Amino acid sequence: MVEVTVGERMAAAMARHLKDGEVVIMGAFSALPMLASRLAQLTHAPNVSFICGGSGAINPTLEPLPESSCDDRLLRAECIYALPDVIDLEARPEIDVFFAGGLQIDAKGNCNLVGIGKPGEIKFRGPGSVGLPFLSRAGRYIIYTMAHNTRNFVPEVDFISGPGFVDGELLSNGPSLVVTPLGVMDFEDKKMRLKSTHPGVSVEMVKENTGFDLIVPDNVGETPAPTDDELTIMRRLDPSGAARDSIR
Amino acid sequence: MTRKEKVMEAGDAVSKFVKDGCLLGVGGMHMHNNAMAVIREIIRQKKKIGGLTTSPSACTNADMLIGAGLVEEIYCSYVGFEHLGLAPNFRKFSESGELKVRDCDEAFSVYSLRGGASSLPFHPLPKGLEATSVPNLNEDDYKFTKDPFTGEDVLCVRSMQPDVAIVHCQKADAYGNAIFEGSKFTDFDMIKASDKVIIQVEEVVPSEYILEKSHKINVPGLLVDAVVDVPFGCHPTACHRYYTYDADHLKEYLKACKEDFPAYLDKYVYGPKTNEDYLEVIGGREKATKLMERDIPW
Repeated sequence: MVEVTVGERMAAAMARHLKDGEVVIMGAFSALPMLASRLAQLTHAPNVSFICGGSGAINPTLEPLPESSCDDRLLRAECIYALPDVIDLEARPEIDVFFAGGLQIDAKGNCNLVGIGKPGEIKFRGPGSVGLPFLSRAGRYIIYTMAHNTRNFVPEVDFISGPGFVDGELLSNGPSLVVTPLGVMDFEDKKMRLKSTHPGVSVEMVKENTGFDLIVPDNVGETPAPTDDELTIMRRLDPSGAARDSIR
Repeated sequence: MTRKEKVMEAGDAVSKFVKDGCLLGVGGMHMHNNAMAVIREIIRQKKKIGGLTTSPSACTNADMLIGAGLVEEIYCSYVGFEHLGLAPNFRKFSESGELKVRDCDEAFSVYSLRGGASSLPFHPLPKGLEATSVPNLNEDDYKFTKDPFTGEDVLCVRSMQPDVAIVHCQKADAYGNAIFEGSKFTDFDMIKASDKVIIQVEEVVPSEYILEKSHKINVPGLLVDAVVDVPFGCHPTACHRYYTYDADHLKEYLKACKEDFPAYLDKYVYGPKTNEDYLEVIGGREKATKLMERDIPW
């Protein structure tokens, strides 16, 4: 058997977090969430529906898996919605799970895509907030990152693009899972908690690479590997390795 | 009297409809359906863009105009190259202060154009979107008002009506009746919201074709001012159902932005004066064939 890559382990962890019947949405740069959603459909959650952001594709077959979220190969799908129609869905209660990310993520699960700095003095410009403000209306959200270090896991984000557990009333249940190249986190009392580490990663390594105090329970296990079935499906969906080899 | 055809060269369309200081809308999203042939012509003619608005996710359509030093301010929900990286000119010009960024989000991009398309004075937003930093960063375009029915505070965005929109679609007839064959992004509302509309197309088709497929026409010609016939005119971005994006060229672009962007503009924008010249410079028929040959799902 070929070795499981970090990308595949992350995709499997995200897939298993989705429950049958849920409606899932993702935005740009989403090869891993696309793979995770399709994997869930083909294993434990055949009634999951997923929407590939800007392309408007609902339940694309993903063979092969494209890297761009607006690729026309996604249009082999059950429905191609226009983007304003997708936004209507984002504002309705239909969306159970939203995939999110950011330049900075903090202990409360806030995500920042605006940039690094202060208002009027942004010294590093991020791409922009895009759809993350709609997190406030999604059932819950999964944060995924392609790196895990003290630069992107910070005590407090400089700007909020996607609100985590902010003060005041939230329409959403907030962030529920964080999946990174080092491990998997969830939340306890609205603060990020280490759940498992990937093989070869120690609890100490995760703590050193996180810019705030993670809640660390006594028994932190290893992130489960994909089963043979899951691995076979992922490699069929992703023959070029767009998701598989996305983490180095 | 004969009916007026709207097919014209990119150069004529730009000099006629794109005025210095205008509010410009550019269609497409990420590296797909960017109307690059007309955008390159705007750069050749050095038109000053007072304000630039885009779909929720702009790519090289915005970054190239910014890098040419032509954009005063941008309504920005996202400018980037997705899995290929951040947008170098957007970063450089905004960080130096040469480009004014009006921070926005996807809700702004969609609802401001929908407001403009429907001639609404502004557009209210669904509750919850006030929980981010974006409205605080841009108090000119996001404001609270009282819901007249409930008395509750409601966040609103400005309606946008660009002076001119530049949008790519797959086919149109000489009168501007147009067919979008792939994803539609925010292009329809942008067309409806804008005063003047330039459509660049892969193919100009006979009116008989349009009449036979009238249920597929999604832009009536009465909204269109110019039709620019430029096969492969989205390059280096994709045109849905015709060809994919040129990842190698986009990587070359990103590298050039960091090393010598004027040399890129000389080679690919100022040098080739026509779409045909451009296609030769990027690799001619061989490149075109490569971008069209792929696993097509329809």
